[in-house]
Amino acid sequence: MLTINLFNGFVYGSLLIIMCSGLALIYGLRRVVNFAHGSFYMLGAYLGYTVAMQSNFWVALIVAPALMAILGVLLDRYGFRLLQDRDPLTVVLVTFGLLLVIEDMVQSVWGKSNLSVAAPEALNFSVDLFGTPVPAYRIGVIVMGATVALGLSLWLRYSKIGLFVRAASTDPVTTAMQGVNTDALSAAVVGLGTALAGLAGVVSAPFLSLSPSMSSDVLIDSFVVVVIGGLGSLAGAFIAALLLGMVQAIGAVYLPDASVLLPFVFMVAILIWKPAGFAGSRT
Amino acid sequence: MSPLRAILISVAALLAGVGVVTVVSSNTVLSLLTQAVVYAVFALGIGVLLKQNGLVSFGHALYFGASGYAIGITLQLQIMPVEWAILATLAGIGIAAFVIGLIIVRVPGIAFGMLTLAIGQMFYLSVSRARGVTGGADGMQVDWPATIFGFSQSSILKPAVMFLICWSTLVVVMLLLSLLLNTRLGAITEAVRDNEERARFIGISTVMPRAAIYALSAVVTALAGMLSTLNTGFVSPENLHWSLSGMALMMVVVGGFKALWGPALGAVVYFIFKDVVGDYATHWMSIFGVALIAVIVFSPTGIAGALQALWRSKPAAGSRAKAGVH
Repeated sequence: MLTINLFNGFVYGSLLIIMCSGLALIYGLRRVVNFAHGSFYMLGAYLGYTVAMQSNFWVALIVAPALMAILGVLLDRYGFRLLQDRDPLTVVLVTFGLLLVIEDMVQSVWGKSNLSVAAPEALNFSVDLFGTPVPAYRIGVIVMGATVALGLSLWLRYSKIGLFVRAASTDPVTTAMQGVNTDALSAAVVGLGTALAGLAGVVSAPFLSLSPSMSSDVLIDSFVVVVIGGLGSLAGAFIAALLLGMVQAIGAVYLPDASVLLPFVFMVAILIWKPAGFAGSRT
Repeated sequence: MSPLRAILISVAALLAGVGVVTVVSSNTVLSLLTQAVVYAVFALGIGVLLKQNGLVSFGHALYFGASGYAIGITLQLQIMPVEWAILATLAGIGIAAFVIGLIIVRVPGIAFGMLTLAIGQMFYLSVSRARGVTGGADGMQVDWPATIFGFSQSSILKPAVMFLICWSTLVVVMLLLSLLLNTRLGAITEAVRDNEERARFIGISTVMPRAAIYALSAVVTALAGMLSTLNTGFVSPENLHWSLSGMALMMVVVGGFKALWGPALGAVVYFIFKDVVGDYATHWMSIFGVALIAVIVFSPTGIAGALQALWRSKPAAGSRAKAGVH
């Protein structure tokens, strides 16, 4: 019982990693907390559903994030860039407005009832893990989360663009003066972040059902994760995502009645200890 | 604003409320106005937090719904008379919010907003699942007793009386807030809002006053929740949902938060707008999302800000100098 729950906690943590790395990237570069990130996740999942219906899951895994990337680039070009000199609160509220529009759009296009996507054929079997059978697809989710975490870390650490992203996250003005095109960089990063939300949506579809409330559930958990991890910190978000997944899994076994409240208690405990999160600075 | 002037304006506003009741005879219009005023109190709670602390709450529905549930459960248990139950609920929510505030106001900037959303939504989930106490997703009936503060329930529930109760609450709360913010607490919180570091350097404790404002804003919103359950006799998890917090926040932003009356104005505008576009009700969220974005981008100070700018540009320099004094 505990093994399978811990395993599921790990799966959910991996999903949160994909989700939160997008949120943290966008915050790092644009200093925008994207309230529409959960809606992007939902939109990605529903787009993935439609594509998977027409062809198969693997195509959806590529196409839906690609579409979301385009949306992200447009959002940066015609939203964040035009508003970059405004009060941070302004931009947050704009993303909140966007959230309302996307939620409404998704409901009117795909309806309010729950939809589900079948796991792809190639991963539709069970694996024995410490004597408990677990669906191979969920192991795939963990692999996907690890790939995203590792890929992003290596990219930011060793590539030239990664260097630019780190520089612009620290000081966008100086970075621009050194000849880096920070506008193009931001567009790329917001595009990538939005694509990651879409990717998380598609990945979640076969093991969580699609419903109009899926966005807020995940958004809340993602916020808890990035606040605990320290806003804008990728490593902090990775650790916090796995921890949150574990806390929920253990709570589901030992405190089933309070499992909803556990992330909150966990968060409060961390914030009393470190008000700016694991990796946060006081800004 | 000088205290005397604030009191005079409040008296005039109370009389205006009586005027509205005598002029408007349609019950539909009165109940629409009542709803608008209830949400004006709700928005005022969020507005005061934003104005004094510079912090945005995305989860104030927590206090709106919690006060309805708290009063409902206390009345159901019949442990105290209704008057005490009302006071106990408000005091309890104030204390709870103060404790929560002590933890979350220390979190820098926008992370605060994310936390309020997370806390609110977790409370929403727990309430919708706790079927035994709260009736779960179906909500619960609130059994108001036959007499409240010496008035019979049937007379209170008349639309005109209900409107007057809500309107007077709004006016009195606004008066008390403007008097309170004129004191040292108001000055301290503004100093902390504008530059926390310097405020700390000159020896101001920065967490306590902000937590106090947070608790104050929670109590104002709880009062709105109480008026709402008095009006409808019902409370459901919808009263706690983040979309409600979002709607109220939208009223604050549209109305403008630099002045106390901005959020209230925003609530009235919201309800008029809602009545006008009622035919397209299925696309509510889109319409409001677009409206919100438009107001923020083109008029960041909201309607109140635009009106104040208009007001200040017209009168001569003399009144402008006076405006600088208060």
